[in-house]
Amino acid sequence: MTAIEQPAPHLYDEMLCSEGVHAHYQAYLRWLENTPDATLEQKRREADTLFRRFGITFNVYGEEEGTERLIPFDLIPRIIPSSEWNHLELGLRQRVTALNRFLHDIYHDQEILNAGIIPAEQVLTNQQFQTAMLGVDLPGNNYIPITGVDLIRDSNGEYFVLEDNLRTPSGVSYMLENRKMMMRLFPELFLAQSVAPVEHYPNLLLETLQSASDADSPCVVVLTPGRYNSAFFEHAFLAQQMGVPLVEGADLFVRNGCVFMRTTTGPRQVHVIYRRIDDAFLDPLAFNPDSMLGVPGLLSAYRDGNIILANALGTGVADDKSIYPYVPNMIRFYLDEEPILNNVPTWVCRREEDLSYVLDHLEELVVKEVHGAGGYGMLIGPKANRDELNKFRQLLRDNPANYIAQPTLCLSTCPTMVSEGIAPRHIDLRPFVLSGSEIKLVPGGLTRVALREGSLVVNSSQGGGTKDTWVLEGNPC
Amino acid sequence: MLSRTANSIYWMARSLERAENLTRLLDVSHNMSLMPNSKGGQQELLAPLTITGRLDQFRETFSQLSAEALLEFFLFDECNDGSIFSCIRSARDNAHSVRDKLSSEAWESINTTWLELRHRRQRGISHEGVKSLIDWIKQRSHEFRGAAYGTMLHNNVFHFMRLGTFIERADNTARILRVKLEVMESQHNSNHAIDFYQWNALLQSLGAYEAYHVKYTGGLTTRNVTELLILSAELPRSLRYCIGALMSQLIAIEGDQGQAAKRLCAELHARLEYGEVDFITRFGLHEYLNDLLRRIHTIGDEIHRSYWEGA
Amino acid sequence: MKLSIDHVTDFTYDTEVTHSIQYLRLTPQSSAGQQILQWHLDTPGNVHRTIDTYGNVLHVCTVDQPHQGITIRAQGTAEISDTEQPENDRRIPPEVFLRTSPLTETSDAIREFTRGFRPTNEQVQPDQHQLIELMDALLERIPYRSGMTHVQSSAADAFAQGFGVCQDHSHIFIACCRWLGIPARYVSGYVHAGDDQHIASHAWAEAWVENAWYSFDVSNGLSHANHHLKLAHGIDYLDASPVRGVRWGGGAESMRTYALVDQVDRRASQQQRHQAQRQQEQQQAQQ
Repeated sequence: MTAIEQPAPHLYDEMLCSEGVHAHYQAYLRWLENTPDATLEQKRREADTLFRRFGITFNVYGEEEGTERLIPFDLIPRIIPSSEWNHLELGLRQRVTALNRFLHDIYHDQEILNAGIIPAEQVLTNQQFQTAMLGVDLPGNNYIPITGVDLIRDSNGEYFVLEDNLRTPSGVSYMLENRKMMMRLFPELFLAQSVAPVEHYPNLLLETLQSASDADSPCVVVLTPGRYNSAFFEHAFLAQQMGVPLVEGADLFVRNGCVFMRTTTGPRQVHVIYRRIDDAFLDPLAFNPDSMLGVPGLLSAYRDGNIILANALGTGVADDKSIYPYVPNMIRFYLDEEPILNNVPTWVCRREEDLSYVLDHLEELVVKEVHGAGGYGMLIGPKANRDELNKFRQLLRDNPANYIAQPTLCLSTCPTMVSEGIAPRHIDLRPFVLSGSEIKLVPGGLTRVALREGSLVVNSSQGGGTKDTWVLEGNPC
Repeated sequence: MLSRTANSIYWMARSLERAENLTRLLDVSHNMSLMPNSKGGQQELLAPLTITGRLDQFRETFSQLSAEALLEFFLFDECNDGSIFSCIRSARDNAHSVRDKLSSEAWESINTTWLELRHRRQRGISHEGVKSLIDWIKQRSHEFRGAAYGTMLHNNVFHFMRLGTFIERADNTARILRVKLEVMESQHNSNHAIDFYQWNALLQSLGAYEAYHVKYTGGLTTRNVTELLILSAELPRSLRYCIGALMSQLIAIEGDQGQAAKRLCAELHARLEYGEVDFITRFGLHEYLNDLLRRIHTIGDEIHRSYWEGA
Repeated sequence: MKLSIDHVTDFTYDTEVTHSIQYLRLTPQSSAGQQILQWHLDTPGNVHRTIDTYGNVLHVCTVDQPHQGITIRAQGTAEISDTEQPENDRRIPPEVFLRTSPLTETSDAIREFTRGFRPTNEQVQPDQHQLIELMDALLERIPYRSGMTHVQSSAADAFAQGFGVCQDHSHIFIACCRWLGIPARYVSGYVHAGDDQHIASHAWAEAWVENAWYSFDVSNGLSHANHHLKLAHGIDYLDASPVRGVRWGGGAESMRTYALVDQVDRRASQQQRHQAQRQQEQQQAQQ
């Protein structure tokens, strides 16, 4: 095969290092070196055809309605040794536990606000804070059954939390489909090494959703905005894998304080809604009155405790970028522990001293909108031209509270198949954490890769791709 | 089962069946148009337009009736919501919205059909020729049916799918028969040659040509064709067969809904099961078909009312 | 003052509605300022009573039989305290009412207008008297006039129009207060106006000053709510609106509301009736 382009010396590469290759990649690299280019190319085409035929697609906003695109899939897996994974898992459990405690606290006694750890008005006037949740008790005090945490690695290979996703994290279907595809294309690799399985995720998800309700045999549904939503494939996929109905808002209605779905045999009560719709669209009678996606009356049923939403209403306040800088302190406050996984250093522009630092160092920093998502509305200082820098300077001065800033991250790289051959590209990792009666994770998660050379933006909405993620069981040979 | 899911499945199946029926019709028209006009070739070109009730729409776009224009209109025209392209798009869209309820093989089959159809549309009809295009569509239709039969649970989803298939098929058979009858009546029944080709075309377009010759020896007669297409218990496109299948699917669907549809269906089935050609002839074939079509539409309305409006 | 209320809301539709659901905030609660003596709510369909986000009584009314109209009637009597009784209600942290919403967002013009009411010393919060000045200035700037704005108009829209009704006055006042750092909320209810000029269904505002909720009825220039029966409060009109619904089918809708507020003791002596009527024909696009 063609040579693998060497990674940049100042970055951490998942496969290659100054000694040659990391131990956990040795077996894979041997195989790769013995595989002809033509075979890889043929497998790549095969994967493409199969993904298209299965309809594993992603709808892109702003293009013709219903335009479907494939998320580029890279054949070279991202491999994580089990020792590393064990550490990550501990850190994720700790973080998700603290975030859940935080949500319960701010909607009840507000101890963390009273203790002055987080400024009260920053939480109470946050648009993601849901007044409707004040004093509402949820079974098991469980707000976030499904969490996705975005992790990156610095130049030393240390993991950092870039972002928590506590609303409707997506991508788990690609994790599962990527694995299926790899096992289909390269069965020999899975015979040679023991890759920790992930296929049981839908079972765990169903258990988690069922355990969120007190009902005897709860009726669980997946609520989708419909087939034009960018993640519709995932909604349908998860519903099918769990064997539960995939519903749209118009399939549900509220009567007598309970939620029912319209079926061919008449109304049937629903107990748990795994909703993939944002808070603002859930109930047009309580929130955005123009929403056609939601269920009128849903909020009243929810506050009465007759329906479970996963995730709960108002979880967005805890993954908001303005709250993110406080998560390490949440861990200390609620759990009396030191964080196992660190935050990326963050400047909160609403603080005056932080703002002046950011304005002075704009060309070195990444500036993000507090409520932005999907890589929109951000400035990457070192890549920006003078006009862009000036534009953001003005934006920051006008509305500092809307922004945070972080150092330019040196995401780790992983060898990736590109048109010129195999070259290092930046990646991140999104593990999925399920919280029911206990916290469960499947090993690994979704690895996203920025396919453009030097790019740090891994979001699928901005042309990122994905890789299969392997957690190797036992010691690498 | 969700009402919306049932509705989407039903319309997916109807659209697919409509596409297949149209394909057969175009196949026959195409063959007939190759014949000299004296054998009714031009008349035959009109048939797909009258059967689907789209003559006016066609005339808005095309000045002249030709085989090419007809094919363009019915194969790939995006603006014609009755074209094969539109039917398959609609079937695929419906399937997409309920893809979690189809087996992955059934979904992949319909999705592949759609993707390849778009590709073929881009290349144009002339690239591979009408005949092989038509054969391909028929094959894709068979493949989906096979995948659905062989890999899906025969539960409510399946029953609603079959419901859509058979109501569309019954409607199609009755319409074709009625139009052919009108054509022949207008030709005063004087020319036996034309009659032969007309009956022949009718049987071909319902995939019943071979079946006719298995069941009846001798030439094509109005009486036998009527009997086969309306009263046969064996021909999968006869009205009796379709209504019987419709009834058994309705009964198989869980729950007490749809009493009116079941009653109407059973009534109609009894008329067909114990029907006689002589009675139909006395009653007037044309009138009989009008009555049948009315009843089929009422059953369709009742299905709507009980399963997706009443819930 | 003892008031009797008879409030009818009547919807009729051009074609059949297959299903409809309403959030009704038509049940007042007793408090220091008002004592509910008797109350009755009459609605069609299935009705479920609960408490909403802000502590208001909420009836959820589902009609799932085909229908061509809905009539909702609230009737009762209440004793209103003659003096303002500011409430120290902390069930919802008052800071929550610093949040803005699309209807209560400030515009440049509103901020410009409000700037003059900012205390010179930034450490000091404006007090009730300063807010009364704000209210008076606002009514002068935006006189009451109906028909200029509609039910979806925001504070900024109405301010730009230069005229407004009680809903607009309340929205603008709330926007100003929040911009000044004072929690403020929207109140819906009834007013006994004493003349026929104002409609009996009414809206005003409450602001959190000196650790209690004080009333500000901008349209009437009143800093006390002693002719007012409060139904509900919230962030804005949408949260506190007495009737908010969704329907499937129905085509165009026409709505007619009729609210009659009488002073019971006064009627006995003077036989004088005060009434207000509101008729509104709304042609709305089908849902």
